[in-house]
Amino acid sequence: MSKIETRAFIQDKFAEYYKTYSSSIQPPTHMENREFAFLIFKERIMLRHKSFKNPDDFRNLLENVAPSDVYYSSAHYERPEEEMEAKGWLGADLIFDIDADHIPTPCNKQHDTWTCNKCGATGRSASPERCPQCGERKFDDRTWPCEVCLESAKEETIKLIDVLVRDFGLSSNEINVAFSGHRGYHVHAENELIQALDQIARKEIVDYIVGIGLELDLLGVGRGSGPNLDDAGWRGRIARGTYEFLNTATPSQLGEIGLKKSVVNALISQRERVLESWRNEGPWRILKGVGSEGWKRTVQKAIERQSAKIDTVVTTDIHRLIRLTDTLHGKTGLKKTSVSITDIERFDPMMGAVAFKEGTVRVAISEAPEFTLGDRTYGPYKGLEVELPTAAALFLLCKGAARVAEEALHV
Amino acid sequence: MLVAATADPRIKRTYALAEAKRVSNQLKEENKEVIAEIADNFNWKLKTIVNPTGTPIYDFALNFTDFVKNAATIQDKKWKLINRILLNGEVYLTKTETSRLLEEEVRRYVEKKLETEVGELPPNILTRVERLKQLFFQKRGKTSWEEVPKEIVVVAYPPCIKRLYDTLSSGRHLSHTGRFTLTTFLVNIGMTVENVIDLFRALSDFNERMTRYQVEHIAGGRGSRTKYIPPRCDTLRTHGVCPGMDDICKTIRHPLGYYRRKLRVVRAEAPPSPRV
Repeated sequence: MSKIETRAFIQDKFAEYYKTYSSSIQPPTHMENREFAFLIFKERIMLRHKSFKNPDDFRNLLENVAPSDVYYSSAHYERPEEEMEAKGWLGADLIFDIDADHIPTPCNKQHDTWTCNKCGATGRSASPERCPQCGERKFDDRTWPCEVCLESAKEETIKLIDVLVRDFGLSSNEINVAFSGHRGYHVHAENELIQALDQIARKEIVDYIVGIGLELDLLGVGRGSGPNLDDAGWRGRIARGTYEFLNTATPSQLGEIGLKKSVVNALISQRERVLESWRNEGPWRILKGVGSEGWKRTVQKAIERQSAKIDTVVTTDIHRLIRLTDTLHGKTGLKKTSVSITDIERFDPMMGAVAFKEGTVRVAISEAPEFTLGDRTYGPYKGLEVELPTAAALFLLCKGAARVAEEALHV
Repeated sequence: MLVAATADPRIKRTYALAEAKRVSNQLKEENKEVIAEIADNFNWKLKTIVNPTGTPIYDFALNFTDFVKNAATIQDKKWKLINRILLNGEVYLTKTETSRLLEEEVRRYVEKKLETEVGELPPNILTRVERLKQLFFQKRGKTSWEEVPKEIVVVAYPPCIKRLYDTLSSGRHLSHTGRFTLTTFLVNIGMTVENVIDLFRALSDFNERMTRYQVEHIAGGRGSRTKYIPPRCDTLRTHGVCPGMDDICKTIRHPLGYYRRKLRVVRAEAPPSPRV
């Protein structure tokens, strides 16, 4: 079937979902002060500056329009339906976006592919600067949410939550965590004090979380001393990060951060003593040869491991649009799914985010790597027609990796 | 009221700063209770810490939102949130530090008060307002942001701009922040909209209509008609645009500041180059 017919098919499925579940989709807090935006299937345009007075009007729109993606503003406005300059900004939630795209992963994004727009050449991982065959620079990139990527995004999210709770003192009912429906997680913090913060103040929060501008002297690192494991704030994070790194580091990892061979040997051969020393004043002066430069490099590594890899632009933007929880992601057909802080360790996004649980669809797949959805693993596929459960079929259709098979449309 | 009547932002800022300094100097002499009370006036969430004997260090614990609102504009590194003890949403502060933060709050408060528009004034007051303006500009000189020379001197670009410029010229992709920084910088040092647009032609996804719209918008030719300036250095650091500092970087806070300073250096060093 053609691209357009496939798109119409996806939209029908989305409409089905919204007709069944719209009553359980919760609009955001302060609904009447938010701007809503919808990406429309047919024209691929964004309907912006919408506002709703009550949940029913909003749910009606979801059912009747069945948009590809549903967003609302992190900001609250006096007049959300006006143009940007006239909206009257009242405040904004503090939002964080953690996306596998920003995290270096062990899978090295091998599952991602590119296709040259001109000559059709293809390749793995991120697209090159120029096509090796024809020299063209335009590509069609296709990214996949793989388990390894999603797991590393989850780890970053857990680190972020830890900082928000322990250091920033936010309580579990002020924080909402959700799987985005594609390649990462969103964390939403809402309270009256945070609302009013401007971009400059939010930038300070970002720097704190990412570990930018940290001055080791001010945090008590150097000259034969250092922080303890149970210290507050970054002091403790530095100590814990250093401890964990030294506990697991291989000689080559220690070499990679630029430590001299003698220092590496000292750290490896006396690892027990180093770890043990944390019961007292820490390892900062017990090893000969690990001078202040050596500790600085080790601590830098610890900071990198302790910082959470958030998208800095999203958090400092006080007019950001963000996907609404329990609505569908147009690139996967999965739903943005909220996760409680206590359950996140066990949360499996490819299980929890499945929106379509019934029926099957016959699809013609061009190419897809192996992927897991629900409790089944699919693929890899190449040039194949196959009958799949609706969720898996929609996933491939939304990804543009498959078309609906002829016969399926006529049934 | 005289200050408000000048309607000059620099005079207002200077006055607000002086008022704030005055208050903060007085605060240094005051005891903790008075400071806590003033903080309360500004609705700060401030707790007084009762130190167990022998461990002095901190006098107050302040909610982090009040801290970042006031500390984010202070340059010294010890005022960065990341370099503070932050526990359970509270930043730990000494009495002196708390007074310093209150100074920022007072400064903003006074500045806000001065924002009110002053209506018609009697002539004798007006002359005094004019006199005040004159005095101020005699002392300060009338330099302002926009005062950058006409020709474009590539060697005076700061490291961040140099890198963005090279990346773009070789057709590689730039982040949104990167594009915005480069465009605002070039427009502000006097590059024409046409020349900026030409730079973007190297990109594979170049779209003339879209690029023109955005560059013109940034240059103040469209929509809100504000001319944008590049983000400050520390913002560029946050978004990973800063490639690391050179010696001049350490003396400035803004890419345009770098350009102005480096221009002076370049001009002092090199006499006009001979024509070939």
